[in-house]
Amino acid sequence: MKKTFTSILVFTFFSQLCFGFIKNDQTVPDFKLEDSYGNEISLSSFMGKKVVLEWTNHGCPYVAKHYQTGNMQSTQDFAKDNDIVWLSIISSAPGTQGFVSSEEANELTVSRNASPSHVLFDTSGEVGRIFEAKTTPHMYIIDKQGLMRYQGAIDDAGGRGFMSKDLLKAKNYVKEGLSELLTDQEITSPVTKPYGCSVKYAS
Amino acid sequence: MLIFGVIFSNQLIFSDAKYFASDSNIELISETYSIQSGNDFLVGIKFKLEKNWHTYWENPGDAGEGASIEWNLPRGVKASAILWPGPERIPVDPLMTFGYNDEVVLLTRISTDGNLVFPLNIKAQVGWFTCKDICIPQEGNVDILIEEGSFYSSDHQKEIQLYSEKVPDKFSQNYRVERLDNKYFLQTDIDDGEHFNKVYFFPKEYGLTDYSEDQVYEKNQNSFILEIKSSEADLNLSEFQGVIETFNENGRSYYEISYPLSGETSDEQKSIFLLIIFAFIGGLILNIMPCVFPILSIKILRFVEHSENSSTQTYKFGLFYTLGVVLSFLLIALILLALKSSGENIGWGFQLQYPLVISILFYLFIALGFMFMSNLVFGSQFGQLSNLAQVKNESLESFLTGILAVVVASPCTAPFMGSAIGFALLQPSGNSLLIFLSLGLGFALPYLILSIKPTLLSFLPKPGAWMETFKQFMAFPMWASALWLLWVLSGQVDSDTVLLVLIGGLIISLSLWLIEKNTSETKWIKWIVRLFVFILISVSVWILPTQYSSDDGVNQTDLVFSEELLNEYRSNNELVFLNFTADWCITCKVNERVALKSQRVVELMKRRNIRYIEADWTRKDSVIAKKLEEYGRTGVPLYLLYPSKGKPIILPEILTEDILLEYLNELS
Repeated sequence: MKKTFTSILVFTFFSQLCFGFIKNDQTVPDFKLEDSYGNEISLSSFMGKKVVLEWTNHGCPYVAKHYQTGNMQSTQDFAKDNDIVWLSIISSAPGTQGFVSSEEANELTVSRNASPSHVLFDTSGEVGRIFEAKTTPHMYIIDKQGLMRYQGAIDDAGGRGFMSKDLLKAKNYVKEGLSELLTDQEITSPVTKPYGCSVKYAS
Repeated sequence: MLIFGVIFSNQLIFSDAKYFASDSNIELISETYSIQSGNDFLVGIKFKLEKNWHTYWENPGDAGEGASIEWNLPRGVKASAILWPGPERIPVDPLMTFGYNDEVVLLTRISTDGNLVFPLNIKAQVGWFTCKDICIPQEGNVDILIEEGSFYSSDHQKEIQLYSEKVPDKFSQNYRVERLDNKYFLQTDIDDGEHFNKVYFFPKEYGLTDYSEDQVYEKNQNSFILEIKSSEADLNLSEFQGVIETFNENGRSYYEISYPLSGETSDEQKSIFLLIIFAFIGGLILNIMPCVFPILSIKILRFVEHSENSSTQTYKFGLFYTLGVVLSFLLIALILLALKSSGENIGWGFQLQYPLVISILFYLFIALGFMFMSNLVFGSQFGQLSNLAQVKNESLESFLTGILAVVVASPCTAPFMGSAIGFALLQPSGNSLLIFLSLGLGFALPYLILSIKPTLLSFLPKPGAWMETFKQFMAFPMWASALWLLWVLSGQVDSDTVLLVLIGGLIISLSLWLIEKNTSETKWIKWIVRLFVFILISVSVWILPTQYSSDDGVNQTDLVFSEELLNEYRSNNELVFLNFTADWCITCKVNERVALKSQRVVELMKRRNIRYIEADWTRKDSVIAKKLEEYGRTGVPLYLLYPSKGKPIILPEILTEDILLEYLNELS
């Protein structure tokens, strides 16, 4: 009997506190990171708004292509027009590719004509590891209630031959997911395979 | 000048086959440079990378991308897809990627038809990534000329041969893939002496297995098992596809694996619908089980008494009763599901595996029987069954009766609903809840109908003395149920403990008798008797058994191996299944979950009276080791099936339910 009750207790406890991979429709844990203007930004401060997370690394050829073709910017604009928060997160450790200073980050935003709400630095890689961000780009959509709704690639252009593909013809999963979320529809592809360069975590 | 010119022209001829990029170069090579029309031949793109740089496999793992080749071929010439050689693991902490370090040749089979115009110009546009800690995307064009002539082995033939051997063949052994919880188990037969020292699985697609988690390899006598954590991103793939890399004295080899994964089919959906109907019918039948019938029939008799009053009142009781029943069943379902997800391996009937629960139920049935037999029930303030809490509100009373009905029904559901509910628990949580809901509705239905239309009972004689007789008679099925519980208990605890529980039953009866007789006018006498009753009931609670007398309570039919026990059964010509297992043996555990402990197998063993003996080698004791040695084994698993006479049959190491059922059926 004792064993039974312990199991029930353990079950309820773990279902609340279960860490590790964040599945879709689960509550996203809060995090706090410094942005490129030195402000501390926490995810919970956007409660009530939809949030897009973009793992990025400007030196990564995949990311570079998404910015050169304007694909990433048009997705950011779509978010901006619909009052959706866009957080670009850099998890590159100091000394690795993609690690930038605040000034460089702001310069990149201007020169690429990008429009993220904030560019956040995750130099320790802690937040990236919680989200299990694997690639740049790796995209996440969080809804108004703070639940994970989409995770994966930005579009379906991944796979072999990416460099010669036309991104404007690709199916943009993030735009699709956001539109569906805006009209209260079921998200068609809630999980896709992320593709790109590996996130340059501190080892 | 002349020498320079020669070198220059040489470069003009051959430089097209090569393309130089930063940190890497590629070259298009062929096993022959002259063919006849209709010949097939292998060509390859050779990637030469700077030391410690890499490029990727077909599935790059967590990041990166395999090379792509676009062929531009003359008429009558066709190219196959890339023949990917088996990859290496290239960890990029905390990520895992799959690819090739330093050098690789990606082969393609070129086929031709009968009408070619020579020389053939084979052109390829290649895109690839050269990576170290950073990645450089590269693209280059290469081409070669193939002349008409006889097929000959070029300088590159050896290299092409080397890489073609690394292209995985179909794995020729029998294998299967089982998914249990969040792990995949790849089990394969192996010929004697063909063993591998190490095996690793590379998944072909995203969303199947976890890339960075270590895989556990276990070697058995003539099989092996590989435990692979499944991917967190569950994409419900229909195939377990990929490549296994094996190592033995002859080095490394690659084999292709492809095994269908059973998803949820519409067939199963249908059977869930059937299960829901069966559960409903089962619930109906429960009403006439000896545990439940007396209680409900006596409750229903009250409708007969009240039927003259107003029927508007009684249907309310019916609804509250139904609510009590359904909520209790749902609560049970939730508890079972919680236990299941916390890893407890339970089925329905688990309540009868705890001596404590059985003993409490035994008390309950003794007490209920006593209440029926005595005058305690009707009229007295303790009377009404669910009036224990002195409830005045009749709606609440009906609700509590519903709960009580489920409690007294619980021992009766186990034997005949056991397998259905066990199956229900294997379903996704939503389905399990539906099945329990249906069971509850079926259970409550007769009472509900009678409460709405008490006139249905009009065939019964007018209320009168017969009701008291009937009530008293109903004590006997209660006591019969108590007897049965005692029998179940006797299988779990020793006879002394059974005697204690019986004494407890006696004390409970005495207490109830005292309560009934406690009608003294004097207040202090009344209170002393009450105190005494309290002490008596405390004693009966105190002596309740909480533990099994034997160590292993979960499966009562498990017997612990000893040579004497085996000999005893064998000398009685009994059928014996001997399972050599260990907690650390993955193969054993998978076999047990997939086949040995499955409902069908357990039932067949019971029906055929096959003794199931477990030899647990977790602590590697010498008695079991000796027995294993008899069969030339140094480890587990080993499954021996003893016919009534003669030598035991050695079962295969990879058990499936069907294989096992066949062996058990044929055993004589």
